[in-house]
Amino acid sequence: MSLRLVRIDDRLIHGQVVAVWLRALGAQRIVIVDDASARDEFLREVLTLAAPQGVPVEVHDVASGAVRCIELATTPEPVIVLARSPRTILALRQAGVPIEVVDVGGMGGGPGRKRLHKTISISPDELRELRELEQLGTRVEIQIVADDRPIPFRSLDSGN
Amino acid sequence: MQRKYAAAGAGLLVLMLLAATMPAAVLGASSATTSAPHQITVSFLQAALIAIGYYLANSPWLFGLAFFTLYRPLVAGFFVGLILGDPAQGTLIGAAINIPYLGFISAGGNLPADAGFAGWVGTTVALASGIDATKAIPIAFGLGLLGTIIFYSRMAVDSVFAHWADARAEKADIAGVALMNWLPGQAFLFVVSFVPVFLLALNGPSAVQDALNALPLWTVNGLVIAGGILPAIGIALNMRFIFRGSAIPYFFIGFILMTVTHGSVSLVVIAAIGLCLAYLHLNFVSRDAPLAAAQAAESTAAPVQAQEPKVRLTRGDLIRSWALWTFFAHANYSYERLQGTGFAHAMTPIIKRLYTTPDEIRDALKRHLVFFNTEPNFGNVVHGTVIAMEEQRANGAAIDDDAINSVKSGLMGPMAGIGDTLSQSTITPILLALGIGIAGGTASGSAVPTLSGATGNPLGAIIYMVLVSIVIVAIGYTAWMQGYSRGRSFVTEILKSGTIDRVLIGAGVLGNMVLGALAATFVVVNLAPTVTIAGAQMNLQASIIDPLFPGALALGLVVMTWWLLQRRVNPLALLAIYLVFAIVSAYPFFGPGQANSGDYSYGACTSSLLHQYTPCGAPPAPTAQP
Repeated sequence: MSLRLVRIDDRLIHGQVVAVWLRALGAQRIVIVDDASARDEFLREVLTLAAPQGVPVEVHDVASGAVRCIELATTPEPVIVLARSPRTILALRQAGVPIEVVDVGGMGGGPGRKRLHKTISISPDELRELRELEQLGTRVEIQIVADDRPIPFRSLDSGN
Repeated sequence: MQRKYAAAGAGLLVLMLLAATMPAAVLGASSATTSAPHQITVSFLQAALIAIGYYLANSPWLFGLAFFTLYRPLVAGFFVGLILGDPAQGTLIGAAINIPYLGFISAGGNLPADAGFAGWVGTTVALASGIDATKAIPIAFGLGLLGTIIFYSRMAVDSVFAHWADARAEKADIAGVALMNWLPGQAFLFVVSFVPVFLLALNGPSAVQDALNALPLWTVNGLVIAGGILPAIGIALNMRFIFRGSAIPYFFIGFILMTVTHGSVSLVVIAAIGLCLAYLHLNFVSRDAPLAAAQAAESTAAPVQAQEPKVRLTRGDLIRSWALWTFFAHANYSYERLQGTGFAHAMTPIIKRLYTTPDEIRDALKRHLVFFNTEPNFGNVVHGTVIAMEEQRANGAAIDDDAINSVKSGLMGPMAGIGDTLSQSTITPILLALGIGIAGGTASGSAVPTLSGATGNPLGAIIYMVLVSIVIVAIGYTAWMQGYSRGRSFVTEILKSGTIDRVLIGAGVLGNMVLGALAATFVVVNLAPTVTIAGAQMNLQASIIDPLFPGALALGLVVMTWWLLQRRVNPLALLAIYLVFAIVSAYPFFGPGQANSGDYSYGACTSSLLHQYTPCGAPPAPTAQP
């Protein structure tokens, strides 16, 4: 199991990921699964250049991302998988990617979004998708940076 | 608009007034520090000034530089020292308190500890109650954890003010949005910052003094030992960023240089050697850095517009917008939007210039009030790029909301990743380490350099403040203007050129040298027990370890701490363990010894496991060099 961190973060690669998680886990590869970024040549390029040297970044759409994640899960190389939304993770899970735990690391606030914990806000659709992930046997945890104690999503989900 | 600048001016004025009193205070301090630690009664006015100082450290009024300057315990210590009349000792205490926060990073609204609170309150308490710098470290660290309550209450409450800004945007009220980004948030922040710090500054010193008097002496000795052990955590946290690959040996070079010279070499000299080595390393050793000319980045610049544009932004608009961002990016930092309202605030001069109808203004304000967060200096590339897009849009180019949003949301993360790596985990800690090293001074004469007998040097705080301000502002301005004029092509070019990697690798060499030297000064582990070898009484530390490799245990502790952190041991748990270990190690296990007899005198021996400051049997540390 080398998908060391599967993280939902609407900013994908940023300070918490590069400066904190990458070091804490000693990850050697970042796989980004995001349809919009995969389509946009400029964003793809920026994302691949944004990680520190020696850490390759791959940008995939959901279909090719699922294939790649299944492949990487069997290798010993420690990998971080990033997606913008619960929907993407759900799609990966349904495509057979073995995800034991998904980390909710960053979901910004906005209209129609309810704040769940610190910098994590959530829409009704996303709430449904996270619950579905739990039903599929993937634990959902909120852990913004590596030194935080993970909080089970279940304990924050009031059920309404 | 005018009021904002007036308020900003008032903030700067306070700082300048403080700075103006400096020369006199520094002169006065040199005589004050030669006397024994003395107690100071904190007056109402002094407590109020300290509380205002802590507020300013979290405020936008210092051109966005407060987080890099006043917020750092080194700088806080200097100003608290100024206010209480002993800047040298204040700087020394601030420097010591700062060490556990060397690896301090606050990214994306996450604050592990409030270093500013630890610095302002910790220095006040330590200076006023007359306890020394080493003992202040564990006390201040506890305060730092307490201080996060202020930050998190502010992050929660500021979300409300973001909605007030939304309401103003709905009415196309540009000035209203700008006002909502700073006035309510800052009013709230002032109250929650001022009150606790004022009360603690007033009452804390006597409370701490009473607590220390009530404790058995060996536990107080334990606090001093903890002051020598806890810095290992701060240094190791920082090592997580730079202690790797071919840069590792430089850490040991820095450490050994400091110990073999008994701390008589200044950290500026170490840094100068580090710079030379960084140059050699980049050119002759490192195979990580692409030495070949930058791969030519393909120009993806926006197509030149054929028509004469209807509205153009002036250079003044760009500078005003940049200044607003630099001041107010975090003025209303909230969980819900992070820098969202700050972004809208910065866009107000742009919106005013480009759009005229209420509908256009409203849409533009709402467009930029959404969730946003990046590193506020290097990340300015995003703002520059977005401003260029807004200008093209106002001139009729087919750029819709989606295009602007996708640039913002796509770029803010990656730019924050690079920006945080540059500013928070490379530039700031290295400059801080340099400042702390200068501030901590050194006392020569013992086998290893220690803090004992050191006289604080306010120059450490001042040099750090000036250097970090210049570097941060230069990065922010360049990124903003280049983002505007060259947009996307600037982003890809600078990333592809390898410039950033070269800066990081060079900084890694320099950083390891300085950090190693700092570890040699601030991490102190001295074994107290004495053994009898061939009939001769030999102290383990003074007679066996130090002649072989001075500071070996301290070095071992630092490397072990780094190793544990790499294996995901929680730093807070580590801190608790080290603190308990330090206090227990001061217990007089091996007979009564002198541990319970007021054993603060340097050089006297105890019957405990560890001993503070200097090894048993070593001559007392002479007074610091003039």
